[in-house]
Amino acid sequence: MGAYNTISFKPEHCNGCNACMTACATAKTGSADIANSRIQIVADGDAFELAMCRQCGDPKCVSNCPAAALDKDAGNGVIDWDGSKCVNCLLCTVGCAYGGIVYNAAAGHVVKCDTCDGDPACVKACERGALKYLTTAHIYNEVGDLEDLFVPGLAGCQGCNTELIMRHAMRRIGPDTVLATPPGCIPGMGSVGYNGLTGTKVPVFHPLLTNTASMLTGIKRHYKRQGREVNAVALAGDGGASDVGFQSLSGAAERGEQILFICVDNEGYMNTGMQRSSCTPFGAWTSTTPVGERGAGKTQDAKNLPVIMMMHNCEYVATASTAFMEDLYDKLDKAIAASKRGFAYLHIYSPCTTGWRFPSQENIEVARKAVEANFVLLWEFNPRDGLQLTRDVDQPLSIADYLKALGKYRHLSEDQVAHIQATVEKNVSFIKGLAEGRHPAMAQAMSGRA
Amino acid sequence: MSAVLKPKPKAIVCDGNEAAAWAVSLARVDMVAVYPITPQSSLVEYLAKFVADGKLNAEIVDVEGEHSVLSVLHGGALAGARTYTGTCGPGLAFMFEPYLRTPGLRMPMVMSIVTRDTLTPQSVWGGHQDAMSVREVGWIQLYCETVQEVLDTTIMAYKVTEHRDVMLPVNVCHDGNYLSYGAARVELPSQEEVDAFLPPPSVNWHAALDPSRPMAVDPLTGGSGGPGPAMFVRYRKGQCSGMQHALAAIEAAHEDWARIVGRRHAPLVESYRMDDAEVALVTLGSMTGAGKDAVDEARSRGVRVGLVKVKTYRPFPVQAIAKALSGVKAVGVVDRSVSFGWNSGPLYQDVIGALQIAARRPAAMSFIGGLAGADITTDHFGRVIERVQALTQDGQVGETVWLNERD
Repeated sequence: MGAYNTISFKPEHCNGCNACMTACATAKTGSADIANSRIQIVADGDAFELAMCRQCGDPKCVSNCPAAALDKDAGNGVIDWDGSKCVNCLLCTVGCAYGGIVYNAAAGHVVKCDTCDGDPACVKACERGALKYLTTAHIYNEVGDLEDLFVPGLAGCQGCNTELIMRHAMRRIGPDTVLATPPGCIPGMGSVGYNGLTGTKVPVFHPLLTNTASMLTGIKRHYKRQGREVNAVALAGDGGASDVGFQSLSGAAERGEQILFICVDNEGYMNTGMQRSSCTPFGAWTSTTPVGERGAGKTQDAKNLPVIMMMHNCEYVATASTAFMEDLYDKLDKAIAASKRGFAYLHIYSPCTTGWRFPSQENIEVARKAVEANFVLLWEFNPRDGLQLTRDVDQPLSIADYLKALGKYRHLSEDQVAHIQATVEKNVSFIKGLAEGRHPAMAQAMSGRA
Repeated sequence: MSAVLKPKPKAIVCDGNEAAAWAVSLARVDMVAVYPITPQSSLVEYLAKFVADGKLNAEIVDVEGEHSVLSVLHGGALAGARTYTGTCGPGLAFMFEPYLRTPGLRMPMVMSIVTRDTLTPQSVWGGHQDAMSVREVGWIQLYCETVQEVLDTTIMAYKVTEHRDVMLPVNVCHDGNYLSYGAARVELPSQEEVDAFLPPPSVNWHAALDPSRPMAVDPLTGGSGGPGPAMFVRYRKGQCSGMQHALAAIEAAHEDWARIVGRRHAPLVESYRMDDAEVALVTLGSMTGAGKDAVDEARSRGVRVGLVKVKTYRPFPVQAIAKALSGVKAVGVVDRSVSFGWNSGPLYQDVIGALQIAARRPAAMSFIGGLAGADITTDHFGRVIERVQALTQDGQVGETVWLNERD
């Protein structure tokens, strides 16, 4: 069975405006009477709840129906109601725990959501983003059967985002790969192995922290010379990419080596005890930028490594986040394709539950907030089209809310928050400028290899 | 009488850097990684030119520094490539991190060190201090006396490094300035001769990064027990054993080379006019020529002096040295570098160590010359011979003598 697209509801973004219900009623009956809406927003004190069909995987409405009038469509996952078979017994409504199929007096029979054939009117009407139509199902359907190229039970921290990135990336890249994992969390959790065992199903090695891109250069060049198609892939931390490994990274990018370099950015040396890297943001606590009588976290802004990589005029450069998986997979596919032609660099932000100090179950939410607050910008670059933002940056959530979610920023003063806010705005302006071609010198510098 | 006439060898005039490049071409190297540094620069220029001219069919990777030079070759070797590079001085220092790792990976590879004195004081001139500084890292080190020996040894080094009982990287050391730029008549072996000498690359049968035989290369050793320190110890012991096997492999390679190409070099140590010698000089590298001339001159005056040239410096040929020197009364070891901890030359340390097992233990003194490109002349060697002769009389081993202090 495949996965299906679905409508999601975030009650914290809902203000009970009823626009979704009006839109649904109008779409389904031609009248704006919200009593006829297939989606019902129900006030519960100050909060709101959703009564609507979940298009369940094991639908009780279907199993309760004695007339076979309800059936789950294997193609799109929607539970279809067939009026020609319905006997109006209402047993389906008894089976549903979500108020998702109810008797409608005006219609004279039960009604339920049919997702408007994949283009739900309610979602389009929701201005606050409380309702979303999630279309990530295709990712699961496309890659779900591909082999996970890491063994089960890697020893990452609970809720590790990096492990997700590794598994997703390698599943997509496939087995004809040589994988470099320079010292850091990625080999630290056992991918290269320990005690004579390996954690990866493809050839894998520890480069030095300094020479990942150079070792991959040698591997790729020799296989190319032999006429063999082998992917040369790095899964490297931000420290190994932006600090001591930067020279070899820059060199390989400048030479246009056919390498896919994935930088997993958890904003520091998390494996060795959470020390500062040049990708650590301003104000962040780390074990080498501690907070004390005089110390108040890092005193410099993060190096913008993906922009620096873009200025190498790589075949492809993008930033991504695990909270936006369709975007991530789209970029992963493009990066894999680009690495057959030249250097591809993917910078994936990876909130670190241990080093950033937040509860492990909140990892994806932290990743999402970082993007929604413009702390992390999602964009992509190729030499033909230049830089493009892949997510709107015009209505960011509050940066303070993002910072508050993380223990490493707990000590921040108002001035420090203001500095971060200003840095974020400056970066948005800079990246938007690049996207809109407002930096002619840079646009020229990036326009194709001379 | 044989009906087959040996083709006349092709002779060219070239310097040591070009000779090394010819050797790389003849050895059918798959991959070279290059970065320029004085006095090696012309060597990588020759390589690039040879590739451009089609004389060298190798993947050439122009990288951004020596650290990446060796790292690229690590990748290439783990994919199965026969690899080569050259460096010296500060470049060798910069590549130290991957340099340190190469023998641990049991990675066959040949790298020329076009020897240069180390910083600081600033110097771009010849001296063995760079190669000597890395003498205990696990690379095999072979020192050349002549331009011809550079060419021959660089090819022979591939037979040694890829020997199944060795599997350790080789530095072919040739003296900066004196051999790098000094031109000489060189006989080029034919490709057929080199092909007959050198089998196809055998590089990554033991450790490979190849999707057709997936493995984890160099995973972390465990914290305790069998997969931990014990495995590490066995591994280290294996490296040392590989070094010892290299002595025989070097001798066999020189023997094969002499048989096929017709040119014979002493593989471990060369004894020159040592048969009835009472005193001996011990030399390394290009200084040997002047040393031999000085020996000839002294012999003409009736001085019973000989010379022992060390070709194979790592592994140190302890038995061969002890044997070669066991008949003399006194030894003068001339180093082109310094052992800071001993206030002597490093070769001197090695020689007196080896003499511990000699049948008769001669007195030995350390002489240091040729630093930062200084010439060690026959006059210098004459002084060394005089001092060592005195040693046979009074047995007083004096302080280390610095030859070029007042040149």
